[in-house]
Parts: sequence; structure tokens; C-alpha cells
Amino acid sequence: MRLFLAALAVLLLAAPAARAEDTLNPPHWQSEGVFGSYDKAALQRGFLVYQTVCAACHSMNELHYRDLTDLGLSTAQAAAIASTVKLSTGPATLDDIFKAPAVNASAFGGALPPDMSTLVAARPGGTRYVYNLLTSYQNAPADVTLLPSHYYNTAYPGLQIAMPPPLKDNAVTYADGTKATTAQEAADAAAFLTWAANPDLDDSKEIGLRAVLFLVFLTIIAIATKRKIWRESL
Amino acid sequence: MSEQTSWLATRLPVAATLRAQVMGILLPRDMPYAATFAALVTGAVIFLILSGAVLSVYYNPWHGFDSIQFIIRDVNYGWLIHGFHETGTTMLFGAMYLLLFRAILHREYKAPGELVWFLKLAVLLLLLLTGFLGFTLADGAQSYWSLQNAALAVSQMGGLPGGLGNWFFGGPAGPSTLARLVVLHTAIALIVVLVLAIHLAAKRAIARIPGRPVALHPYYTSQYFVAFVVFCLIFAVLVFFAPHLGESRLNLVPADSLVVPAAITPPWYLLPETGIANTAASAMGHLINFLAAFAVLFALPWLDLSKPGTPPKFLSRVLSYILALDLIGLAITQTAATSILTGILSVLFTAWYFLHFLVLLPLATATETN
Amino acid sequence: MAELAKVEHEIELAVDHARRDFLKILTVATAGVGIAAVAWPFIDALNPGAETLAVSQPIVEVGGIAPNTGLRVVWLGQPIYIRKLTDQQIADNQFIVPDTLPDPADFTSRVKPGYETFVVVVGLNTGIPCELLGNDPSDPRGPYDGWSCPCDGSIYDPLGRVRSGPAAKNLAIPKFTFLNDSQIQFG
Repeated sequence: MRLFLAALAVLLLAAPAARAEDTLNPPHWQSEGVFGSYDKAALQRGFLVYQTVCAACHSMNELHYRDLTDLGLSTAQAAAIASTVKLSTGPATLDDIFKAPAVNASAFGGALPPDMSTLVAARPGGTRYVYNLLTSYQNAPADVTLLPSHYYNTAYPGLQIAMPPPLKDNAVTYADGTKATTAQEAADAAAFLTWAANPDLDDSKEIGLRAVLFLVFLTIIAIATKRKIWRESL
Repeated sequence: MSEQTSWLATRLPVAATLRAQVMGILLPRDMPYAATFAALVTGAVIFLILSGAVLSVYYNPWHGFDSIQFIIRDVNYGWLIHGFHETGTTMLFGAMYLLLFRAILHREYKAPGELVWFLKLAVLLLLLLTGFLGFTLADGAQSYWSLQNAALAVSQMGGLPGGLGNWFFGGPAGPSTLARLVVLHTAIALIVVLVLAIHLAAKRAIARIPGRPVALHPYYTSQYFVAFVVFCLIFAVLVFFAPHLGESRLNLVPADSLVVPAAITPPWYLLPETGIANTAASAMGHLINFLAAFAVLFALPWLDLSKPGTPPKFLSRVLSYILALDLIGLAITQTAATSILTGILSVLFTAWYFLHFLVLLPLATATETN
Repeated sequence: MAELAKVEHEIELAVDHARRDFLKILTVATAGVGIAAVAWPFIDALNPGAETLAVSQPIVEVGGIAPNTGLRVVWLGQPIYIRKLTDQQIADNQFIVPDTLPDPADFTSRVKPGYETFVVVVGLNTGIPCELLGNDPSDPRGPYDGWSCPCDGSIYDPLGRVRSGPAAKNLAIPKFTFLNDSQIQFG
């Protein structure tokens, strides 16, 4: 397992690395806002966090390994990452769906870990909600009795969550040298999950900008044409 | 060229018919941009049919949610076609409600416009049904449970409504229900185009030749073109920058027969109708409320006691605006978290709705003559 | 004076007319561009997408093939043999003069550069189309340690070149690329 993770980290090292920007004070993501696009370096770091920590319990049933080329990796790198994953039929290939973990149906008291493919889009608050959830584990206050196998989390509706705190400092080693604090890991994981739910965001905004500018131009000349035509008759 | 056109012209006079029947239509000089709503509705329906056709190539009703994710992720521009279809629905209902509101505001339902008004209402009913079916096809948590509730309620109703409903849904919702709903969704959408065509014919049939007319082309083609482009501009902003507007977030959770959402809300365009329906207790009560709400709309040409041809006076116009606000308020009470306040408000708004049509409108219009 | 005003008005109308025509042409042309831009996604959506290309361009694991054995996969309805060559087989076949072969082909045309230990061929005899034997070392391979056809007795060498028998052409090589040392993608 360690060998596999080390191999994964090395593979991501080979990918083009961007300088790690300070995404934590205050927490913000490059993809937020009307013109924001995904920070590919953050997505790659987030994928590492997902593979190392989250993939043990959470499935990602709508993603294929070939989708990793969206993160700035080449096809060969994505294929290499896929081949480090052991499926029941052998090593994974680019066309395989992300490996679904085998989670016992009675684990977590019946609160099975949800699939994360559309999680960020399905939860109110989206990216920020995921970040807050991952960083808001606290000791329960004195007047709260925790349900068995539950943990106190101020960001979770109902305040008691069945997921144990998944992140800790240096749970992963980032290839581009970013310090792997819990908050950093949470921010990168949130970025990766945002991409997983909306892989077409960059295309959408890029095409959208061109479409809106084109339509504004067309509106202006359409109004001018209409006025010219009407002026002729009166 | 002239040889070619006369060969075609003697066999199928397309150009001549177009010139006479469409481009040469005589219209008044002062038609506002707001008169283009019906054309925008028609254009939106056609656009939805085209995007729906491409979606139906890839949609799998037995794995609805997964097939939609497949379209979004693996089909070339699938995300865009899907966005066209979803945001197109929002634009369509926006234009439809504006069309209806304008008809109410300008008293277009008075004689001889009753049939045109009925056809508008028929289009609204068919569109609401199509929209609801499309919503169930999304196969998210909200879709699944809305369908479960509707099909179950209908199968438990007795008499004609129960029988018709059972025929439509095929009994309580099961694995094969979406397969039949795809067919019904498409069929009803195509029927909408037919009804819109009849609506246009009815409108033209009662139109009076105005005093100083102008031809449709190029005066109103250029005006309709401006309206279409502005419509497309708003559509583009929504599709590319707010693709999930009007969609419940919970519908992005895959349908799960074991997990019921805390609140099951229909898409935004069904909220006012749901508000009126939900003030009743039983499923039959919901249906009766819904039918009553549309019955007063159909009866509007006779509930409005003004003489035909009278433009609406100040009081009538104010009442119309208040009605619009009332329906918007109803929609909001349905999206807010259920509480005593929202319960009371939805009853008040529903009561005002019926009060408007059955009491206030007749009183306000009884004294209006030209 | 009135005539001057009239002429000026005429000129204004004519200029207006010309400007409106240019404007009209520009508007119609721009609208045309817009319609084409909207129509393209509809058309492209029906082109094969990532998933379909995945099925039509599958990726096969070859890293686990033992030397001197062949892996059989099916692609587009045809059996594909992927053979890992031993050093002896490469040495025996690398420098054979192509002209001495029934269907001349040299070593470099049968393998991909950088991955010379792998031979990928369509496993169908080019004479009578039967499936060939020879993937397993214990199969009848013929004197060249390649493949043999059980139907008409054609013999092939480990590079898939025909050496004898009714067949006259070398085994077909499908379209494929090496993604890395252990994975090849067809198509």
C-alpha cells in the first residue's frame, strides 16, 4: 500500500507543477466567481488526497481514470496512475470506473459513505460546505451526548456525523512541496470534488463569455437594423 | 433560376405562399415587443424538442441518473445539450407565464378571444405535464420521490381520476415506469406544437385589419428577431454561468428507494400550482384544488364582467399585478422550510387567488364600460 | 429652396438605404454564424464520445505476458495475438534478408520501435481464414517457433511473417499504440 502511494506521489511529481498559491487565508478557490477556472495543481493535490484517504470508503462511480487527463496529466500519466489500482480483474486501465471500495453494509451504523461524483453539486454550500465539514471536527461540548460511533462536527446538519475525522497533518506528501496541513488537504480535496461534480466548468465559462459577447453584439446590430427599417416607413 | 422557380412554383408554390400568408400579413404599427411572447414560447418548445431528441439518443430509462451523467461527461458537448434542455425549460416557462400574465393584463380573453385564451391554458397544462415528466426522468432523489408520490396517490384514487391516472402511469412507480414516461414526455411535447399552431390560427382568425397596417416582413420580422436575440442572450447567461438555476440541489443525489428527502419539491414552474393544491389534505383534495384553480382561469372571460372591448381601468390592472405577486408568494412558501408560518401563508395566498377571480374581479369590472 | 431640401432628403434616404442594406447584411450574416455555432454541438453530440471510443479503442494489459507465450484478445470481432518474443527468437529472425521470404518484410516493419519484444498480429491465417495455433509453447508452432494453421498447414515465424504453406501474405497487423511498457491501446 505504501509502495502504491509512493508510486502515485512520484507520478504526480512528473506532472507539470504550479506554484502552490495561498488558498487558505481566507479559503477561496480559483474556480469560484464568474471568470474563475480550475487550478489544476490544486486538483492534482486533491486527487492525491482522495486516492490516499477518501477512496478507502467513498466510491466515485461516474468518473473514469481517463478523466484524469482533465487535471493536466498526460494520457500516459493517467494510464500509469490507473495501473497502480488493483481491481478484481487485474490492474485498472484508463477506461475503468474509479475503483469502488468494498464497504460493509453494516459499517458506520448503516450510514453508508455516499458516492462523491456529484456530492459538491448536491450539498447546499458546495465547495465551501465540503471544506468546512472536513475542518470542523471538534470535541463535543459538555451538554451534548454523542450517539455511538458518531463524531461532533459543527458544519454538519444535526452536528453529529458518522464519518470519523479523515484528515490529519501530513496524511499525504505533496509532490509540489505544498505544506500538507489539514486545512490545505481539505481545500484541495474540496477543489477535486468540485471538479468531479462539474468537469465542464472551464469550458462552460469560456464558451459562455464568447457567446454572451457575440449575442450582445448581435443585439445591438439587430436593434439598429430594426430601427433603420422602421424609420424608412414612417 | 427563373426556369427552376417556375418548375417548383407550378408544383408546390412555396415562395408565393410564404409571401402571401406569412410575409404579407398586415399588422398594426404599434405592436410592442411584449407581443412576441407567443413566438418565443414556440421557439423555446422547438429548441427543447431538438435538444431532447439528441438527449434521447443516449438516455437510458432503466438507468436514468447514470445515463444522464454519461451524457454530461462522455458525450461530446453532452453537458451543453443537457444544459440547453434544462435551462431551456426555465426560459420556456418564464415566457409562458409572461404570455399568460400579459393576456390577463390586457383582457385578451374577452370576446371574441375566449378560444385563444382556452388554447393558451391548454398549452400551459400540457407544458406543466411535460415538464413534470421531464423532471421525473432526471432520476434524482427529488424526481424519484415526486414520481412515487404522484403515481401512488393516483393509483389509490377511485373513479375516473384514478382510472385515468393508473392508465397514464401504469400503476405505482416501478423500474419500468421511466421507460413509458419517456414516450409520454415526447408525445405530449409534440402535441404542444400542434396546440400552439392552432392557437396561432385562432389568433389570426379574430385579428382585425388595422387602420394603417404594415406588412410582417420586414417590419415585424426585424422586431421578432430583436426579441429572439435578447431571449437568447438571457438564455446564454443562464446556461453558461448559472446552469443549475431553478434545479433542486437534492436532485443531483442519485435516486435511492431507501432514503426519502426531508422535503419533496417539484420544479419551480410547478410551485404555484403545488401551493394551491397542497392546502387540501387528501390526494383527491389536491386534485380538486388544482382543477378548481384552472377552472376559474377557464371561466375568466365570464367572471370579468366588463363590456367586451373595454381597456382595463386602474383597479383591474392593480388587481392583476397583485394576483401575480400572490402566485409568486405561493411559490416562495413552497420552497421555504415547512413551518406554521408557511402553512398559514399558503392558505392565505390560495384564498386570495380564489377571492380574486370569484369576488374581486367581478366587482371591479362590473362597472367598467368604454 | 424647397427643391434643395427635397434633393437633400432623397440623398439622405438613399444613403440610409445603402447603410440599412449593409447593416441588414451584417445582421443576417452574424445571425447565420450564431445559428451555425449553436447547431454544431447538436451535430457533434452524435459523434462517438469518450465512452464509445473506449469500447472501440480498448486498452490491453501486456506487461504480464510471459516470454514465448501469446495473449489472445478479441477486438472488432477478430482474434488478436500478442506474443512476447524471447531473445533467441529475436536473434533468429532479426537479420533474415526479406527477399528470401514469400512476403518480404523486415524486422522493423513487424514491431513497434522501442518495444521490439512484442509482436501484435491478427490471429487469422491469410490463406483459408482459420484461427492460428501457437500462443502456448506446447501448441504446434511449426519449424520457426511461430504459428501454424490447422486448416491448410501454413507456417508463420514469431514475427507473423509467412514462411511456407498455401498462405501468401504475412499476418495482418492491427492499428495500435503502446501507452507505456505494459499497456497497448487499439485503434
